[in-house]
Amino acid sequence: MNTFKWKKLGRVFNPADVNGPDWMNEFAQAPSVLVFDKFIRVYFSCRPQPDANGQYVSYSGFVDLNRTNLFDIINISKNPILPLGNLGTFDEFGTYPASVMRSGNKVLVYYGGWTRCESVPFNVAIGLGISNNDGESFEKSGDGPILSYSMNEPFVLSGPKIRMYNNLYYLFYIAGRKWIVSNGRPEPVYKIRMASSQDGINWTKADKDLIESKLEADEAQASPDVFFSEGKYHMFFSYRYSANYRGKEKGYRIGYASSTDMVNWTRDDSKAGIDISEEGWDSEMISYPHVFELDNKTYMFYLGNQVGRHGFGLAQLEGILK
Amino acid sequence: MKWKKLGKIFDPTKYKLSNDCVEFAQSPQTLVLDDFVRIYFSTRKKDANGKYLSHISFIDIDKIFNKIIRVSEKTVIELGELGCFDEHGIFPMHILKDGDKILAYTCGWYRKTSVSVETSVGLAVSLDGGITFKKQGAGPILTSSLHEPFLVGDAFVRQYENTYHMWYIYGTHWLNLPEDTTPARVYKIGHATSDDGISWIKEGKQIITDKLNAQECQALPTVIMFDDVYHMFFCYRQATGFRKNKDRGYRIGYAFSKDLISWTRDDSNVGIDISENDWDSDMMCYPHVFSCDGKVYMLYNGNEFGRLGFGLAVLEK
Repeated sequence: MNTFKWKKLGRVFNPADVNGPDWMNEFAQAPSVLVFDKFIRVYFSCRPQPDANGQYVSYSGFVDLNRTNLFDIINISKNPILPLGNLGTFDEFGTYPASVMRSGNKVLVYYGGWTRCESVPFNVAIGLGISNNDGESFEKSGDGPILSYSMNEPFVLSGPKIRMYNNLYYLFYIAGRKWIVSNGRPEPVYKIRMASSQDGINWTKADKDLIESKLEADEAQASPDVFFSEGKYHMFFSYRYSANYRGKEKGYRIGYASSTDMVNWTRDDSKAGIDISEEGWDSEMISYPHVFELDNKTYMFYLGNQVGRHGFGLAQLEGILK
Repeated sequence: MKWKKLGKIFDPTKYKLSNDCVEFAQSPQTLVLDDFVRIYFSTRKKDANGKYLSHISFIDIDKIFNKIIRVSEKTVIELGELGCFDEHGIFPMHILKDGDKILAYTCGWYRKTSVSVETSVGLAVSLDGGITFKKQGAGPILTSSLHEPFLVGDAFVRQYENTYHMWYIYGTHWLNLPEDTTPARVYKIGHATSDDGISWIKEGKQIITDKLNAQECQALPTVIMFDDVYHMFFCYRQATGFRKNKDRGYRIGYAFSKDLISWTRDDSNVGIDISENDWDSDMMCYPHVFSCDGKVYMLYNGNEFGRLGFGLAVLEK
């Protein structure tokens, strides 16, 4: 099979360009799409100004884009879709990233909940929220996470992507493998994992790394976005080096793998068909791909430099995923 | 019930402890062997920042609990790696003889910032008769979930009719009270079952009713079966003011069950209480009930949560 061809259409949303609420000051990370008749709702995670200690919290919100012109922003969420958690809970300091899916009249959101730790800066577990108002706001299903740590997934369960295939729920996510100390700072190494469920609440983990590492053993893999097309599961994800990854050379790129059963994946980044630009907002890194289909076209939202600090952009596939 | 106190049997300040620990011998847990009883406990050392790290040690003691034969010389179980659930301590470590294997269910601690700590339950196995234990993974086997959001710990495991039963505690609230400098935690006793001792299904409810109030803290369940009844001992206290105020500190509670499903709390029948002017006159906590040579014993901690050791009582019925 040949390489996919993604045509970059440009940056769609930069929080700095709109006079948004305080909690939407910077960042528009991890786009996730919900399609409506006249618009698409793109969820993303953003941050207010950092606190006096330079620490961020993160919220999730959305923009509605005109279905016939995805560069036409017709609405911006007034409030975060989820409140931060209560004292001591897993999502006290952030709800990021979020992945949404319709379920009957409801909309489900699976999100990473952030807490702060002493020896490492944070830990993450996956929470569940349910919306009865078309995804304007979500109510948490409990104070605790829906997917948490286990023997081989000891910390940092994040980057959930919720899917339903053959009447089963699937969560693709990442799990921390180890913390390495680089330049005096603990940095997490994480790998792509999967769990399945009959009810979306009780999950059975596959308990294996889905994607082999390419750059190095400690390659960090993130945002596993799975799309089914032409009898195959296609996964676009992001990956980076374990250390010094905040610049162009070792920063995030978008990788690709395919599978027929979702358990066994063949990685072939050469097919991904999208890379950093020569210049501009996505010239140093690209990450957090999200593939969706709209009106017979296949698109990808993705993040650019500084992991979405300045928003997300859009690319369109030439042809179909197969 | 009626317990006869046999006094304090171990004072950690009188021995050299492994891992450079000084003081504290908390939450004693037994492995009863042919010729002696091995009692594991959590002791402490201070790290570079002056904060405590809990490590597991053990003593071997004769079966009349008179003579200490051995004190562990080396690390019994390593604390977790950077960022792991048991990086800052293991307290307690519960032992289960499972066929020819010796399993340990650990309560791992790691430090957080908005609240002091988080805990989860880990699993370790000993291949040398209980002298050292190897963890079965970097992560926990039982941890937070939708309605048990934090502070899962204090596992006690027994196998009854081919099913493993775990009693444990889980947090329900962190209280941010104006009179406290740090948030106070509230936790309750829960129950889970398993076919293999590794994968657990939580029952998902508080199984022991509150006596003091809704913010009562319940800890360290220990279960023993005799006379066709399952007996649970545990400790409980007020959520705040429990360190200094004797009237708000830990006491031993009691509940019984005939089916392992419904439990009746009956503290009036616990048969043991604080002493007058002794090592256990301010509080009693972290009970561990076991049988040895036909008798039923309770190990427990006294004042200051076991800073100066643990004691023993024997059941007189």
